[in-house]
Amino acid sequence: MTLTASPPSVDGGQQVGRRRSRRASVPYLLLVPALLFYAFVVLWPTLQGAGYAFTDWAGRREAPGFVGLDNFTELFSAPAARSALRNTVVIAVSTTIVQTLVGLALALALHSALASRNLLRTMFFAPALLPPVIIGFLWQYILTPAGPLNDALGAVGLGGLTQNWLGDPSVALASVIAVIIWQNAGLTMVIYLAGLEGVPPELHEAATMDGAGRWQRLRHVTLPLLVPATTIALSLTLIGSLKLFDQVYVMTGGGPGYATETLSVVMYKEAFVSGRYGYSTAIALVLTMIVFAFALLQLRALRRFEVQR
Amino acid sequence: MTIDAARSRPARALIQRATLGTALVVALGACGFVNSGDDSTEDGGSGGSLTAYVNTEQNTGLAPLIEAYEEETGGTVDISSATTDELNQQLRVQLTSGTAADLIRVSPGNSSPVAAGVLGREGELTDLSDAAWTDELGDDTRALAEVDGQVLAFPVSRNAIVMAYNRQVFEDAGIEVPTTWQEFVDACAALDAAGVTPIAAPFQGGIFFQFWVYALAGTLVYAENPDIDAQLAAGETTFAENPEWGEVFARIAELRDAGYFSDGMLGIPADQGMQSVATGDAAMVLMVSAGLPQLHGYSEGGADAFGVFALPGNDDPEATMVPVAPDFLAVNAAADPEAALGFLDFLAEPENVAAYANEMGVLPGLATDVELDSDVLAPIAPLLADGRSVGYANYLWPNGDVQQTMLQSGQEWLDGALDTTALLGQLDAEYAKGQS
Repeated sequence: MTLTASPPSVDGGQQVGRRRSRRASVPYLLLVPALLFYAFVVLWPTLQGAGYAFTDWAGRREAPGFVGLDNFTELFSAPAARSALRNTVVIAVSTTIVQTLVGLALALALHSALASRNLLRTMFFAPALLPPVIIGFLWQYILTPAGPLNDALGAVGLGGLTQNWLGDPSVALASVIAVIIWQNAGLTMVIYLAGLEGVPPELHEAATMDGAGRWQRLRHVTLPLLVPATTIALSLTLIGSLKLFDQVYVMTGGGPGYATETLSVVMYKEAFVSGRYGYSTAIALVLTMIVFAFALLQLRALRRFEVQR
Repeated sequence: MTIDAARSRPARALIQRATLGTALVVALGACGFVNSGDDSTEDGGSGGSLTAYVNTEQNTGLAPLIEAYEEETGGTVDISSATTDELNQQLRVQLTSGTAADLIRVSPGNSSPVAAGVLGREGELTDLSDAAWTDELGDDTRALAEVDGQVLAFPVSRNAIVMAYNRQVFEDAGIEVPTTWQEFVDACAALDAAGVTPIAAPFQGGIFFQFWVYALAGTLVYAENPDIDAQLAAGETTFAENPEWGEVFARIAELRDAGYFSDGMLGIPADQGMQSVATGDAAMVLMVSAGLPQLHGYSEGGADAFGVFALPGNDDPEATMVPVAPDFLAVNAAADPEAALGFLDFLAEPENVAAYANEMGVLPGLATDVELDSDVLAPIAPLLADGRSVGYANYLWPNGDVQQTMLQSGQEWLDGALDTTALLGQLDAEYAKGQS
């Protein structure tokens, strides 16, 4: 028997095409309700909010006036806002670096046969489960001049190290950063622990057979395989610290003076204390762009490492 | 057409229609075109019922009065409360969105975006000028309740800035209550020599720092020149040019430089500052009278362990002024005012003015002659009776930003990072911005 393959007729081809096209469109149609919801709840308010950044909106009934780029000019010229911008970057960079290193160190230390590892993991992760506001109040109390930290330092003969942790402008920002790292290092640890679970033991065995020591195995086997976890940890930490608000507002309110003010704190005060919603929205817009730029740069840089691996 | 195709087409059509239908419902619902079926309306707009949104202190003081009002009139008051900060933040949005209560707590003067002066000029508040109780407004309260000749706010109470001191500490150091600035400085020196922190300074956040500015400005600035606010507004003087304002900060600097404030003052929160006075580690703290019950609660001796006096600003005991702040209620202009006005009339009855003041341990809002249970504020009563009271200095500044600058830059000034000229210059800049 001879089988001949003949091309489908033109009409038949069109029908198949239409059928495929209809079938292909069904998943997209199913997305429509969610997309519409997203558009109304997220996109439209976001765009509207961005529009207010160019107005003098004060939360009143009358229509706000268009002020062009005045709000942005003020943001980059006002000393208090510039200080907040600088503090935000300092917090973001230092928190991201130190928290990642601390989280990695904890993960490496607790990814072992240590009998108490689960207890220790729980202890280190517990602060991340507490609301930031509670953390803020707790540490505000601990760090007062007559608080438990100074008392403890004095009790162990380290009275010379006591500080006015939140009241001295030269120390307050570092204190805030330390609290943030204390709270979130456990979260970074968990991310790295998950990454370590994905490192095949046979690679370590092979490296050991090749004569690699502990440090060489860490440097050339473990760390390269932890790059995806590092990407996640760095991204979450960086974004979280750039928009940091709760702990700062509770512990210092941005003070003393302007020593610990961040863009988020200034944004909040301008909107809800001063009623300058337009200016506050401009700050929010700039903050959004900064977060976006930092996150994009970081992702691109780390992806390169992942590809090389 | 295949059988499969015949079966699947209606199914696809059904999915497509359902999808589009859902999308339309979501879209129209989001736009508010779809009746959700919830046609219920708030029951309470008639029959003497009203809604109120007040701060937590007012809520406590009003609770028994609301009960009495409801019993007496048959009306209802649906009250909700928040801390003053939270209320200030939410009320602006509520007014703009038309969801604000009938009766609302407003700040005095122009001190916040929801102050009587600010909302009054925007037409958000009902004119209360025809109410009988407006005759009972004291001068300093009237100055803040009136906007463009209309009374727009009702004072449920007044708070005074007073120096609270630990009686035992004063007694142990052999100190009498000072009545002049020099006596005050001498008292601080004696306390310091006795090993006690003379003045608790919980200046974290700046709230307690501002009391020093207002207390000294009352005597040094407003008693000397009652027209200072008008002159500032007219540009006839500035904070930096005005010698009295310079003197206010010179006085505070004198105490700071002598080491009479708590060590690490910028890191001390309010409660710890008050506790240090209660325990006797510090001798006194400048605070608002509304906070006295909290201070008393830190000591086993309660109110008896403490005394109060008006902070002197100069060496004339008769010149000392007491800064006083009214705690206001106002009627939302968008509300049906009848029930709210009736409730305010009820609150203005002398027995109710007294009941609120006694419940909260505060000064009566109206200048009504009432009997107070507590004698905690008795030491300043003669000054108030003599009319030696003055509103807080910040109330008639153009907006809350000048105060905010004072709070934040004031901390830098206390820390020595900013000199007085620079601080006053910043206040002037913010003041000018507020007027533009």
